[in-house]
Amino acid sequence: MNEAAARQPGVLGQPLQILDRGSYSVACSVVEGCLTCGDVAVEVKVLEVDGFDAVCEDPHGQVGRVGVDLVMPVEVGNRLLVHAGVAISRLKES
Amino acid sequence: MKYVDEFRDAELARALGVQIAALTEPGRHYKIMEVCGGHTHTIYKHGIEAHLPENVELVHGPGCPVCVIPMGRVDDGIAIARNPEVIFTCFGDMMRVPGGSGSFLDAKAEGADIRFVYSPLDALKLAVANPEREVVFYAIGFETTAPSTALTLMRAKAEGITNFSVMCNHVTIVPPLKALLESPDLRLDAFIGPGHVSTVVGARPYEFICEDYKTPIVVAGFEPLDLLQSILMIMQQLQDGRAEVENQYGRVVPFEGNLRALEVLQEVFELRPYFEWRGLGFISQSALKLSDAYADYDAELKYATPGVRVADPKACQCGEVLKGVIKPWECKVFGTACTPETPIGTCMVSSEGACAAYYNFGRFAKSAARADA
Repeated sequence: MNEAAARQPGVLGQPLQILDRGSYSVACSVVEGCLTCGDVAVEVKVLEVDGFDAVCEDPHGQVGRVGVDLVMPVEVGNRLLVHAGVAISRLKES
Repeated sequence: MKYVDEFRDAELARALGVQIAALTEPGRHYKIMEVCGGHTHTIYKHGIEAHLPENVELVHGPGCPVCVIPMGRVDDGIAIARNPEVIFTCFGDMMRVPGGSGSFLDAKAEGADIRFVYSPLDALKLAVANPEREVVFYAIGFETTAPSTALTLMRAKAEGITNFSVMCNHVTIVPPLKALLESPDLRLDAFIGPGHVSTVVGARPYEFICEDYKTPIVVAGFEPLDLLQSILMIMQQLQDGRAEVENQYGRVVPFEGNLRALEVLQEVFELRPYFEWRGLGFISQSALKLSDAYADYDAELKYATPGVRVADPKACQCGEVLKGVIKPWECKVFGTACTPETPIGTCMVSSEGACAAYYNFGRFAKSAARADA
């Protein structure tokens, strides 16, 4: 992810705030469960591809960086399933 | 919210409940095990059992990776964390898991540099930022999580990062299922198969359950309607006298799994001859260790660990809960001596654990049902 891209407006019209991989995880929340160590993963949309990483947005509008080595090739707009900061599946387009 | 709301429709849930009830035979008791802790969480959080007829019982399985970690492995991790040069990292759920001599949180309070991370890639980032320190990642999880550890190790090797290592506690899903099916004190009619584990391994590894044990399994998603539809598919199979692997979670799980992820796992890990599971005992070929090619990154080879087997506290019945032999509330210490704030057993620590899920979401409904009776 380059700095210029980080300054571009995000999909919600706000400057993209690139969070750490942790943005996709709620650590051990009673309500949401533990996304990292349970068999739980988060669906995200690819905003930008940067080598083997991609900047993605989750359904709550949070943006973060994800390792996409296991689901290459990835394109902007793809929907991925992310677990522990790594995409493990590319979802079927509906 | 797209991809969420449409799987939580109350009317559809009620309709599925009616269809499930229509497929039950009067006088027969159905025991269906959800293998995965994520499913247990959904069942309690969304009150799935309220939509099921009384003779359809959901049994909670061993699919919470935190819950199956034996106490001795926690002690081994703490021994590594106490090395002054080490930054020890683990997922948040592990922090409060009690070992024989306290938890990672206790060790942190005593001065060990223990930090929780959301991804092993973040632990690797710490290693890059702290070249004078040794960063150790305490890896847990089934095949859902193992690829992220494998990928991190491949990146560490490719980038020549040498101050990073992994204490590997990754486990595999099929051997415990086999152990459960062989268990004499448990009779199951069907399995609800794990959703995201199957994203990686696919649905094919479960075929032995149908062929050898004539037991149906349906791989399920994690929303309430996913689970209810899976139970309906199971009931349909049972009524038809079929035992097949079916995939309810087709929008996410390819039948063949993620072949690239499986390749990566094969390269980085090899099977341990045996591994201890809390409550299930030693199960052969049920866990992963780093392969010879990645031996330089194996924390268990880099550091001395006690490696002592620690017996569970006598009062704790996590073993029976994990095997589905008793329900969480039937444990002697549930909700009294053992609560999420002061857990005795691992099932009360992780929010995916059956006891914690039941404590947080189910106990009031149960008390109300008892009061009505």
